[in-house]
Amino acid sequence: MIVILLIFLCAPWLVLSNTSEEEIGEFFKSGHTNNWAVLVDTSRFWFNYRHVANVLSIYRSVKRLGIPDSHIILMVADDMACNPRNPRPATVFNNANQHINVYGDDVEVDYRGYEVTVENFIRVLTGRLPPSTPRSKHLLSDERSNILVYMTGHGGDGFLKFQDAEEVSNVELADAFEQMWQKRRYHELFFMVDTCQAQSMFQRFYSPNILAVASSHVGEDSLSHHVDPALGVYVIDRYTFYALEFLEKAKPGSKKTMGQFLKVCPKYQCISTVAVRTDLFQRDPNQVLLTDFFGSVRNVEILLNTLALPNITLTSDTCSKSSCGNEEVSSRSLKYADQFPMPV
Amino acid sequence: MTDEDISEKEKDTQAYAALGIGLICIVVGLPLWWKATEVYRVQLPYSDINGLSEIPLTYTAEVQVVCFDDVWTKRILEISQLLQDNLSKTTGTEIKANYRLSVRERTTEELDIFKQKGSVPDLPFVDDELSKSKLVSGDRNKYYIFLVPKLFKLDYAYIGKHHNILIRPLNDVTELVKDISGIVKSYVIHEDSVEKSILNAKGARSLKPDKESMRSVRYNPGYDITFTLTVPQPDILDVRWQIEEAVTAYIESMTNKLTEYTSFEIKSQLQYFTTFQSKPKYDESLKEYYYQEQNLPQLINPIESTLGTSSSNNPELNFIVYIPTRDKSPLYIRDKNGNKVKSNAFLSPRWGGVMIYNVPEFNSSAALPYLVQVDMRQVMEVFVSQIRLLLNVNSAAQLGSKNVVFEPVGVAGINDIEIDVWLRNRCAENLATSINTLQSLAQLLGQISNIVIKDDIGSEVETAVESIKNSQKLLQAGNLVGAFQASKLAIIASEKAFFDPSLLELLYFPEDQKFAIYIPLFLPISIPVIGSIYKAIKHLRGSNKAKKD
Repeated sequence: MIVILLIFLCAPWLVLSNTSEEEIGEFFKSGHTNNWAVLVDTSRFWFNYRHVANVLSIYRSVKRLGIPDSHIILMVADDMACNPRNPRPATVFNNANQHINVYGDDVEVDYRGYEVTVENFIRVLTGRLPPSTPRSKHLLSDERSNILVYMTGHGGDGFLKFQDAEEVSNVELADAFEQMWQKRRYHELFFMVDTCQAQSMFQRFYSPNILAVASSHVGEDSLSHHVDPALGVYVIDRYTFYALEFLEKAKPGSKKTMGQFLKVCPKYQCISTVAVRTDLFQRDPNQVLLTDFFGSVRNVEILLNTLALPNITLTSDTCSKSSCGNEEVSSRSLKYADQFPMPV
Repeated sequence: MTDEDISEKEKDTQAYAALGIGLICIVVGLPLWWKATEVYRVQLPYSDINGLSEIPLTYTAEVQVVCFDDVWTKRILEISQLLQDNLSKTTGTEIKANYRLSVRERTTEELDIFKQKGSVPDLPFVDDELSKSKLVSGDRNKYYIFLVPKLFKLDYAYIGKHHNILIRPLNDVTELVKDISGIVKSYVIHEDSVEKSILNAKGARSLKPDKESMRSVRYNPGYDITFTLTVPQPDILDVRWQIEEAVTAYIESMTNKLTEYTSFEIKSQLQYFTTFQSKPKYDESLKEYYYQEQNLPQLINPIESTLGTSSSNNPELNFIVYIPTRDKSPLYIRDKNGNKVKSNAFLSPRWGGVMIYNVPEFNSSAALPYLVQVDMRQVMEVFVSQIRLLLNVNSAAQLGSKNVVFEPVGVAGINDIEIDVWLRNRCAENLATSINTLQSLAQLLGQISNIVIKDDIGSEVETAVESIKNSQKLLQAGNLVGAFQASKLAIIASEKAFFDPSLLELLYFPEDQKFAIYIPLFLPISIPVIGSIYKAIKHLRGSNKAKKD
């Protein structure tokens, strides 16, 4: 009798666990086909070295996990590597032990220096760039793209400072994302922001499929991690430091979830409280793979049926007089024009 | 006059002066300020744009049934009625299919074509001959169903290259009619795929990924196709491929057929010293290396960065032929059941495809680098199939069934019926996308009143609305090519209008910041003006009271 009762109690639980496993399997195959990353550092001047190190470290992680340069838009407002105050030129470090040079020799910065403005940032997001812009500066995402947006710099309640001269407000950002949604320029978006009072930046979002994490609540400051005595400035921010620790353990085929990523940097490590916004995101973050946003794992399809084609003997184009007569072989010799017109 | 009178008079003048200034401020100043701070916005046809989605979408196709045997020619009317009834049963919610049906008797020339060959029917020959005959013209969107005579042996329905369908008639009229309408709806017109195109373009997003819609690229007036030969060990293998000739022989016929509708830019390149980063597994018994289906997603990323990109904004399709390294040869792909994939190729949605080409073993004493000529036919078979999948030529439906056989496409790359299906689907997709774009543009401009709308945006929007209406009309009339061209114009104009660089929300002024800007300008002036108006009114009312007294 008791045994039967126990079985009755356990049976639904067993059934439930089976179905949830199936559901996990289903959800891991997400609906995106490509990944993009928009990484923005908004501050200038040598003492903001840590912001450049932040964004370049995230850039390295994202590249390592598989997103190619053609799908990364990197906006860095100041060039620390070539700054005259840099004791080791052409390097940017994110740790006092100076193990990893996050600048490297294959960094591709799309918007540098004074090109990092609010206008350019909003133009990149909404796609309203002038037609003469080169392809690498466009965000050519479609409705099956997952986009990672990472912003770092100095911020306040409701705004983020760009280059000491202007600011982007949270309402503008929310409107920009809404325009992206209307034009179906993203499938899902992960917004990560590491500034003071960062939570305010995502408070006004109203478009669906956005998952957001910020390094501090409104009213709190995000703090930097440690100083590099050789450089004399702080080299990394706390939230990004612990986020990188998490990302460095992930490999391209990793099964780590976004739920785990959102728990990174508890209060005793970060001193500020990490804020998360999941109400606009339709999936459960614990079921979403980290590589859905940070890496680029594609769906592939094996080709099962091929067309049958006849065997055509390919003859290479032999240039006969009739066919090649149009090509004029220019026999005139070419030389450079004189730089300074010298008297004969 | 007494001093009191004079001061009275002065006070009166003061009062009138204050009132006059106040009046000018309100009557002239306020409208002037309003006009000066207005943004230039061209009037857009908002009501038209909203009304676009109300117009029901329909498309028309012409079907002509040709009866051969007397048993059918006597019942032409009956067949015509029943077939019309069957064909008008549509299940689509977004778009409706109309059929213009005509049933006729065969001509003697057509009967001769069927009588020509011996006991085994040569179907492609019949197909070609029929399309040459006068009554069967090669127009788009016109399909001819031949109910073959009894003497012609045919066990299944045959769908040819040139809009001709050969069906063996059953004895029962209702069965025959059901058969015909089933074949027309599913295999010739592909009604469900038109419906799906519109749903996808409208943005019906479910969490469950739909393979077909995710795999193919959206319509674009141009595509960039790049063929890459990746040789990781050029010092050992000297691999040559005649890509230019192969493209001319195998791909050009397809791109030529589609050249009026979209352009293709085809490039090829060689890549040396690039290897797949992940390690394949080794099969001891067969002495070969293999990748399993779940390892395939990570293969593309490390080599994608070295592929290079084109300078245009068109979607890119990359096709890679990979020659495995000597120590990892031969290299195969196995599906999840462990069976070798015959084509040894896989594709990545909206990106392109990869094929692993195994070079046969050669004598280790041969001189290095060893010359290898790539078999272009094998390579092109894979790539043409992949191009068709990526461009959404609905080739999945080509598999047919036991009772329906398609003429294999062969070197032509794409046949007439497939072009029709592609045009119809792309037209529907373009219409849905451009209507969506215009409506979200109108909503955006309505919501944010700070955006300047210049004249050229207004004209682009008007062009787009015109083209959409035109395309819908032509689609309903059955003019497929005209409808497609109009939809192409519509989508180009609507995208241009939406993505115009001048549409940036210039300055965001929240309400409290607006106050902060206007207060230092207006407050110093308005305090004395308002104060004196108040005093003036009080004085005039006071003097009126005094006069009354």
